[in-house]
Formats: sequence, C-alpha cells, structure tokens
Amino acid sequence: MKKIIYAILSTNQSHTDISDLMNGMKGIMGADIYALSFNDISIAVSDFTSSKDLTNRELAIDFAGVIEALSQQVTLLPVRFGTFIKTDEIVQQLLINHYDSFLKNLQKVENKCEFGLKVLCDYETFSHKISAQAAAVEVQPSEYFSTNTIHTNYLLEKIKINKLEDSLFTYVDQLIEDISLQLTQINPDSKYKKMVTNSILLDAVFLVEKNKKDEFIQAISSFEQQHDALQFLVTGSWPPYSFVDIVIE
Amino acid sequence: MEENVINQSKDITIVEILDRVLNKGVVITGDIVISVAEIDLVYVGLKLLVTSVETMQEKRLTIVKPDQEKK
Repeated sequence: MKKIIYAILSTNQSHTDISDLMNGMKGIMGADIYALSFNDISIAVSDFTSSKDLTNRELAIDFAGVIEALSQQVTLLPVRFGTFIKTDEIVQQLLINHYDSFLKNLQKVENKCEFGLKVLCDYETFSHKISAQAAAVEVQPSEYFSTNTIHTNYLLEKIKINKLEDSLFTYVDQLIEDISLQLTQINPDSKYKKMVTNSILLDAVFLVEKNKKDEFIQAISSFEQQHDALQFLVTGSWPPYSFVDIVIE
Repeated sequence: MEENVINQSKDITIVEILDRVLNKGVVITGDIVISVAEIDLVYVGLKLLVTSVETMQEKRLTIVKPDQEKK
C-alpha cells in the first residue's frame, strides 16, 4: 500500500504530543493521518489505496488543507503534492538519511509564516507613464542608422520596446528596494520574481514571524498608499512553502 | 460587484494554493517515489491567475486569507 507524504514536522515542542495531534485527523480520500518519527522530527503520512487519478484540483486543495491544519499546531515543512512512497520503512529511512537537512530548514521557518505579494498595474497606462518619465526610452534614429532602409522603422520600434522593458525592470528594482526599506522593522526573508507578466510587475513572498503578521499587512498597506498607479494583492498567511530548500533525488 | 470581488478572491486563493502545493515545498524524487502528472493543473492555475488578477480593480490593497476561502 503506498503512502502519501504531507509534511515534515518539528515535534520538539513541549505542548505537542504528535499522536494526539493527529488523532482523528483525516487526509485526502478520508484516510487517517499518522506520524513516522525519528528523534524530534516526524513525517505526516496517510495510506493511499485508490487508483483514482490524482490530478484534480479538489485533491490538491484537500492536501493543502491538511498542511494548513498541521501548521496551526506545529512548525512544518510542506512536501510537494503528489509525493508517494512505497512503504513506511522507506519513509522512515528517508527521515533518518535527511535528518540534518530537515532540522536546518525547520529551524529556519520556526514560528514563521509566509505571505505572498503581487504588485499589479494596467500595463498600457503604466508603460506610458514610465516612458514619459524616462528619457532613456527615447530613440534617436541617428544614433543607430546613418541611412534609412525599409527595416529602419521596424528596428527602431524594437529598440524602443527593449528600452521600455529596461526602464520597467529598473523601476521594479527600485520598487523592491523601497519595499525592503518599508519592511526593515519586520525584517522578513524574501524572494522576488520581476515582471512575471505585463500586468504583474512583481511576485514576491515573505517569511514573517507569526507575531508580526498584522504589522506586515499594515506596512504593505501604508506602502501601497504611496503608489497610486499600482495595485497590491496580499495573500496569506500560508505555511512556509516558498522557503523550503530541500530537493531529495 | 461584491459577488465579483468574492469570486475573484476565491479564484486567486485557489491559484495560490495550487501554485504552492504543486511547485513548492520539499521535493522528493527518485526510485522510492511514485510520481503523478501535474502539468494540466499548473496550466489551469496560471491561466486562472492572469484572468483573476487582471480583472481585480475594485480594491487597491486586496488581502486574500486562505483560511476563510478554503472552508
């Protein structure tokens, strides 16, 4: 019977008896969740007997619900959905072999949660604004071509688009710097993806101490009020999905 | 209008959940793992995300709380 893995748990917390915590807790497809432990770390698993196709969003969301429920009680590292292991013995061995790595990551996220932040814009309006502000976007044909050819206009347009993209990246770099400054007191770990789409200027995640959640939301709210042309979308709090740095091959 | 905002918040929450459970967390691969296909789910997620965030104009700072949406 195969096992589905949910999360790696820190059980080094005096108030927590891991067996009591999982007593009655159901996993996906209604299976009982149980823990396999080594020292002060456990792995939450359940049996999985169905041959039903796992690629549907309901099961993935149920899986996330289990991780969310566990994260309310203990510090954990979420495991990517769809991770099946053949036997309890192999799960146990996995825990022993990678104990140090699990422990190090658990310490990193202890008493912390994750927030997502997307910074959005209306691309047409925003790019015009950036163009108007950035002289660097101006393209003088004489800088590039001594004579006009049938390709000149096409190439100039391409150069202009590239310059606009450069200016947008520069703007986003400054935005990241400003957000970091705004969050200095909260001091979260962070990861940023720039220019995900034309409308999503920034896709960021932050690892915030649980007792600073409200402070974080307030800081982003204040920052947003200084940026009329942008929309800020905050999601969370989440278990620390984006701050786990473990790949086991 | 209010219903629209709620629906978009729900869509965004679902996308954010799917993005996390499918693409993040501890990755375990190799012979001990029986893998599953994930590509269709990821595709749906990205499409939904772009649709949802690009039409969310009603509120400037939007806070989506997964605890509320998953119930």
